[in-house]
Amino acid sequence: MSYSTFNQAQINPLNEPMYFGNSVNVARYDQQKHSIFEKLIEKQISFFWRPEEVDVSRDRVDFNKLTTSEKHVFISNLKYQTLLDSIQGRSPNIALLPIVSLPELETWIETWSFFETIHSRSYTHILRNLFSDPSEVFEDIVINEQIKMRANDISQYYDNLIFYTQLWQTHGEGEVEVDGEIYNVTMRELKKKLFLCINSVNALEAIRFYVSFACTFAFAERELMEGNAKIIRLIARDENVHLTSTQHMINLWQYGEDDPEMKEIAEELRDDAYEIFMTAVKQEKQWAHYLFKDGSMIGLNESMLCQYVEYIANLRMQAIGFDAPFPEQRSNPLPWMNKYLVSDNVQVAPQEAEISSYLVGQIDSSVDASDLGDFDL
Amino acid sequence: MTQSVFKVIVNGEHELAVDASEGTLLEALEAHKLEVNYHCKSGFCGACRSTLKSGSVRYLTDPLAYIRKGDILPCCCVPESDLEIDH
Ligand code: FES
Ligand SMILES: [Fe+2]
Ligand SMILES: [Fe+2]
Repeated sequence: MSYSTFNQAQINPLNEPMYFGNSVNVARYDQQKHSIFEKLIEKQISFFWRPEEVDVSRDRVDFNKLTTSEKHVFISNLKYQTLLDSIQGRSPNIALLPIVSLPELETWIETWSFFETIHSRSYTHILRNLFSDPSEVFEDIVINEQIKMRANDISQYYDNLIFYTQLWQTHGEGEVEVDGEIYNVTMRELKKKLFLCINSVNALEAIRFYVSFACTFAFAERELMEGNAKIIRLIARDENVHLTSTQHMINLWQYGEDDPEMKEIAEELRDDAYEIFMTAVKQEKQWAHYLFKDGSMIGLNESMLCQYVEYIANLRMQAIGFDAPFPEQRSNPLPWMNKYLVSDNVQVAPQEAEISSYLVGQIDSSVDASDLGDFDL
Repeated sequence: MTQSVFKVIVNGEHELAVDASEGTLLEALEAHKLEVNYHCKSGFCGACRSTLKSGSVRYLTDPLAYIRKGDILPCCCVPESDLEIDH
């Protein structure tokens, strides 16, 4: 089934599944099969921001005051986030656009990935301010064993889906031999790869950033690295929108509101989905261990971070129909996190790091003629 | 005048009087010093997701997080009747 950039068949997108139906032809949004994706596009676009608008210049002074172990925490987290957004800035496009069948979902995927590229660009903005040459930090990302281990776990599900989709696009269904290996390409197999991939991305958006978010906001609680915290607040807000989109995909499948075959697959692969999530939980706890190997930081240590991972894992797992995997961790061990995660916290003074609303150039649309009274050209 | 104060039972142990004309259900839980789960407080992240065991709620903003049967998002709704919820 080779891909066409403009499928000329007459199709009714209202009868298409999210993926593996007909490819999208007309990008129309006047009618939607799953209107939620159109709403998520609007929400996400309303959150548009530019890294350059956030002043991070004071962070340089703060950074030099950090202890060696705190510097390790800060830089390692930036490296890990850079990896995650490098993957997310391209993979939804490459893996999902060739197989998507709904215009609103196609555009959501592009919007989503685009915002991940803003995140990537913000890390360069942060690092440029801290180091005259940030190359060393970036270069370590492909060498650092701790990061590589996670990279592999995240990218393998995307890579698998991409590879099978390419085989399917060039050879159709059936057995194909590539470099001496036989692959059996069936629609069922493709859909299974898609299901696992979306579950892996869901785990990424759900918990993989949160250890690093917690460290950032713990610095901000001590009024350190606040420029960085402002950026991470904006990123966290975006990630919540992304997370909602993957939760929708999984739930639409498993509750039978989309492709009936995907409902079967969701049942068949339920244990695998659970495992993917729990592996991410385990890796994030290992990451917390790695961060604090040389010492913890004020207000945060490895065990608090691990409890926080378990706490949010409970929320995320319940959101996709699993029981809470850590019933003993029902309460939030880092309650101060919430004030940084609130989408808009208008009650607090705008100069504080936990406010995001004032960060991006806001336009006051209620200007009347009297405001311009003594304005001469 | 329509009724705006409703009885809300949380986790089977706390009974609160919630005024639907004053803020969201989540804010009411916070005001009563209950421990609350949330991130966005705007209906799109799903972190405040709770179970509605009885009663009905009304949304103040269109919730974007997936709402499974029997779930509510207290950050963007108010009671429409007496409620029993698990949060
Ligand atoms: S706190 Fe985000 S949906 Fe309620
Ligand atoms: Fe991102
Ligand atoms: Fe994301």
